[in-house]
Formats: sequence, C-alpha cells, structure tokens
Amino acid sequence: MDSLQLGSYEFSSRLILGTGKFSSTRVMLDAVRASGTQLVTVALRRFNREQAEDDLFGPLSEIGGITIMPNTSGAATAREAVRAAHISRELSGSPFVKVEIHPNPHHLMPDPIETYEACRILAGEGFLVMPYIPADPVLSKRLEEVGCTSVMPLGSAIGSGQGLSTAEMVRIIIRESNIPVIVDAGLRSPSEACAAMEMGCDAVLVNSAVAVSSDPVAMASAFAEAVQAGRRAKLAGIMPRSGSAVATSPLTSFLGTAS
Amino acid sequence: MDMISINLNGERREIPASSSVVDMLELTGAGRQQVAVVVNERIVRPDERATTILRENDQVDVLVFAGGG
Amino acid sequence: MSTLPAWLSDERLSADIAPMLSESSGASLERLATEAQALTLRRFGRIVSLYAPLYLSNFCSSGCAYCGFASDRKTPRRRLETGEIEKELVAMKSLGIGDVLLLTGERTSSAGYDYLRRAVETAARHMPRVAVEAFPMTVSEYRGLAESGCTAVTIYQETYDPENYRKLHRWGPKRDFLERLETPERALLGGIRSVGVGALLGLSEPVGEALAMARHVRHLCKTYWKAGIAVSFPRIRPQEGGYQPAYTVDDRFLARMIFAFRIGMPDVELVLSTRETPRFRDGMAGIGITRMSIASRTTVGGYHDPDSAGSSQFEVSDDRSAEAFCQALRSKHLEPVFKNWDTAYNGPVNSEEPACS
Repeated sequence: MDSLQLGSYEFSSRLILGTGKFSSTRVMLDAVRASGTQLVTVALRRFNREQAEDDLFGPLSEIGGITIMPNTSGAATAREAVRAAHISRELSGSPFVKVEIHPNPHHLMPDPIETYEACRILAGEGFLVMPYIPADPVLSKRLEEVGCTSVMPLGSAIGSGQGLSTAEMVRIIIRESNIPVIVDAGLRSPSEACAAMEMGCDAVLVNSAVAVSSDPVAMASAFAEAVQAGRRAKLAGIMPRSGSAVATSPLTSFLGTAS
Repeated sequence: MDMISINLNGERREIPASSSVVDMLELTGAGRQQVAVVVNERIVRPDERATTILRENDQVDVLVFAGGG
Repeated sequence: MSTLPAWLSDERLSADIAPMLSESSGASLERLATEAQALTLRRFGRIVSLYAPLYLSNFCSSGCAYCGFASDRKTPRRRLETGEIEKELVAMKSLGIGDVLLLTGERTSSAGYDYLRRAVETAARHMPRVAVEAFPMTVSEYRGLAESGCTAVTIYQETYDPENYRKLHRWGPKRDFLERLETPERALLGGIRSVGVGALLGLSEPVGEALAMARHVRHLCKTYWKAGIAVSFPRIRPQEGGYQPAYTVDDRFLARMIFAFRIGMPDVELVLSTRETPRFRDGMAGIGITRMSIASRTTVGGYHDPDSAGSSQFEVSDDRSAEAFCQALRSKHLEPVFKNWDTAYNGPVNSEEPACS
C-alpha cells in the first residue's frame, strides 16, 4: 500500500488537516470526518471555563483513527517552542510536534533560526518533529540532518491563499530530501493540493481553505479527493513537458541518421 | 479559611491555602477536562497533581487543545 | 561479497531517465536535444569549462581486461618525478590550461599515496585547480589530498554490473566492487569538494549502466548535499592489446544518454573527454555537455616533450590544439573557460560539519 511513513506511524491519508478558524467545533469535527484525515494539528490554549466546549482533545479522540499533532504557535523563540512541545506531549501523549515559530504576527513567516534550534533539541528528545519552514532547500537539509521526521515548507503565507508560490523551491527540496516533504500553508483550492502531490510532495497540510469555505465539509472531501488524484498521477508517471526552445536548425544532424 | 493568591492563566485568583492542583482544577471547573498543568514553568503530571500543593504567588497555567493550523 | 547498497537497484531514482533512454519511447532525439540545450543554457549559460589530464605514471597492479596499462601488458612503465611534473605543468599552462586532472593507475609501491600527494602539492603550486583520478583511498588519505590542494576526485566504477565487474577485473586491488563504489563517498567525507563518476560504456549493457549511473548521482546528491557532482561518459576506445568490448554504444545512444542526464539533472556537470571525435565533441558542446578535456595527452607526461612519451592508456580521437578547439567552441557561440577556480579556495571542506545527512 502507498502509505505515508512518519516515524513509526503509517498513514493511508496524505491530507493533514488544521483545526483552526472554523466557525464552530461541530463544523470542524464534521470536516475532519469528511476529509478522511488521520493527522490533525491543534494549538495549546489556556483553559477557560466559559469556553470549555472548545476543548478538542476529547471530541477528536472520539472520531477514532486520528493522531494529534500539536503545534507550537504562540512561541516566538526556540525555548518557548520546546516548552510548548513538552506541555503538548503531556496532554496528548502523541510524539508528533509541529514546530511553528513565527515572531511577526502580521505575515506569520517562520523564523528559520529559532526553528532549527527548537528542532535540534526536540528531535534529540525523541519527538517526531515536523517543522514549518520557509521553502529553503538548505534549511531543509540541515533540519533533516538534526533528525526531523519531515519538512513542511510553506506554499505561501498562512491564510493568504496565494497557493504554491514557492513551487520551484519546493521542487528542489523534494529532489534533495530523504525525508517526507509536506507543503503547509497558503493552499487555496483542491487543484493546488493536487498540483503539490503531482510535483512529488508526500502530503499536504490544509487549514484555512477548508475552514473559511462556506461549506467546509464539502471542501474537506474535495481536498481529500484532490490529494488522492495528485498522488495517483505522480505514481502513474506524468508526461514530461516539451522543450521550451526551438532551434533554428537541427541540433542532432551531426549524429547522422538512425541505423 | 486562609486564602492565598495565585496567578492563574494570567489573572490573579484567590484559592484556599494548602489547595492541591486537583483542588484548584475542581474550583476552576476543569475537573473533568483533559488539561495540562504548568506550575512555575514546571509541568505537573496527572499522577502528581493530588500531592502538589500550591503556594502564594505561584504562576499556574492550565492548558487545553484548541483549534490551530 | 557484502550486501550491495539499496540505491543501486532503486528504480525510483532513475524512473524519469528510463523512458528517455528508449528509442521507442517517442521522445525523438531532436526533441531531447532541444530540451537539453535549453536547460544547459539556463543553468550554465554558454560556458564550457576546460581541463587537461596529466598522466603521472602508468605503473599499475591491476589486471583490467580493457586497459592498455594493465599489469600484464608489455608497455614500458614510467613515472614522472617532481621536476618532470613541473615541466609538464608549465607546458600545459602555456597552452592556457588552468585546471589539471592528475592520473595514475591502481595503487602500486612505485606510485602510491605519498607519491600522489607530493604530486598534488606540486600541481597546486602551478595550477589554480587540481583534481585527481587515481586509486580508491581511505577517508584520511583523501583528507590529506584535500589539505594538499586537491578539490576534486574522479573515479569511474567502470561497470555497475557486479558480475561483469568481477570478470573484467582479473586481479589486483581493483577486484573489490563495493570498495570502488563507495569511493566517491569516502572522498567527500575526507573533505574533497566534488566528485566525478561514470561507467566505461561498452563493458556492460548500456541502458542498465545509464540507470545505475543516474541512481549513483541521485544518491550522492541527496546524501552529500553540499558536494559538487560531475558525470563523465567515457566510451571504450581501441588500445594496445585490442580488447573487444561486449557492447556497442553508438553516437546516437551516447547522445541520448547525455540528453537524458541533462534533462533529469539540470545542474550536474556533464563531461566529455578527447576519447570522442571532434565532430561528436563539437556537436554535444552546449547541448548537454558543460565540461571537456582539451589538448590531451594520455601518455605519461607528453606535454613537455611529446616525442619522449611512451604508450598511451587509450587513443585520443580529438587531437586538436587548444587554440583550434576553442575556435570551434566560439563558432558555436560557446565560451571556453580555462579558469573556474582559484587556489585561494583550496582546503578541505570544514571537517567539523558533517558532509552528509
């Protein structure tokens, strides 16, 4: 079976879902079910009695077959991210952590230096580290070297819906990587998720595109199908694009005709 | 009963002196929830909560999972 | 033999190259050439980088069936002493050469590691760039070469078919297939900046060799992500003793292979030597090939005093002068580059950082 291998976990779904920005917990849970996802991200929040029904851990566990991947959003430094990871593991029992460190609250771009430092520490402690990063091929290899389970280069800024603006860089990352490459952030439509899979990504992470859709449940299942289609196409072998230059006279005449 | 003042989730809060973490969670309505508890930067695991006694000015964070990408 | 590495048979690493190698795939040679040209132009511009080989010695302990320097051949053996090496380098420099590849046979007591290291030191005093194509060495030996000024190592697997490899390498240290296969990695771990790989085309079934080469390159690129990788396409040539290769690799197939590699690996250096004819070299320059040897002598020495040179490792097909070859490149709107490096950058890659993942 063509499953996604992350650490010792095997997932048949290559769509990872974020749980933020939904209009209600109820809608979010329905979307999770409709997407067929087996890995969802959550964030740490302070408990508030008035918002007790927003705690997701119980409801998500009830769906069954879901592994939780806490993120470290809110952290602006490696130290804060490491602390958030420890607390999250305590709470979820899951070894997964999405290292997400974005000090600027406007563009939410990840800090490569703090991210590297946090990953180095957490990988050493046995976490399955999934870093959210700029689409940088060298950073990706460095994170692979320190033991990350995958790399998650951004498609475009979180919530911006600008699609796979980093496609060329992601291609290089995929080419060079020995660990799964998962595009995270900025994907706006199922076709973009499909394109990411055709390109060779091992999975995609989608949140805003599903959550802010007028019908998140339908959108979730559309994304699921798109990810499957893209993966199948990649495995089937996509026809290469034709050459982009046209020579004025044949380049191969010096080779003579076929014998 | 003597009360002490702790900092709970960023706000000052009065609780009975010698309250354990378990007591505090009951008081704040988190008794039945799956939560993480951090006291003065240290994670207090579930099996330690009954015996961890809170003191004046302790920084306490009670955390749950919420939606996030 | 211990287990062969997984990458050698990993079809995923060569899946994109495979269809391009087949005549029946519908990918016409001209279309592949056009794409290869476009990619070469985009990544390398119009530059063809030039180097020249300097055979330091033809002492050899091995019994390779296909080589003019095999230890049972009656060719007179020679090695260049320091003074002679310097004379050769000076002669090469007067031709404009700024990038030298030092060659020896397999390790012998007459021309072993210490001799080679001294030769590298000598060459580094005269040439901006020094590379070596010699015998497999240990990681610390490669570090020694890197410290002496060597920045690149070329080693051909000859054939990636272990069975055929065994038959062709009749005696000597070269019999060890796996040791040779792992040589580029040892060089990189020793702080050498780039490695060159290749198979001697004609020894084994050519499509299989091409696929294995592609896997080798991809494996090296993914594991040693800071390393430079170059691929050569030596095609077996007649030599004294007349070994008859089992397979014919015609010009069209060799061209197809080079195009496939350029398309599949747009930024890897692809190298063609003077084994090939002027017509083939000129044709392939700029449409995939980015690096070529020039004005080569495959005799021991031979630049300084051609008449005193003995027998050659293989027959040179393109014996044009440096000037004539550069003219040919320029007439194709390509720019020959003699110097692409400087001794100021010499020295091993930082040994504190791992070279690989």
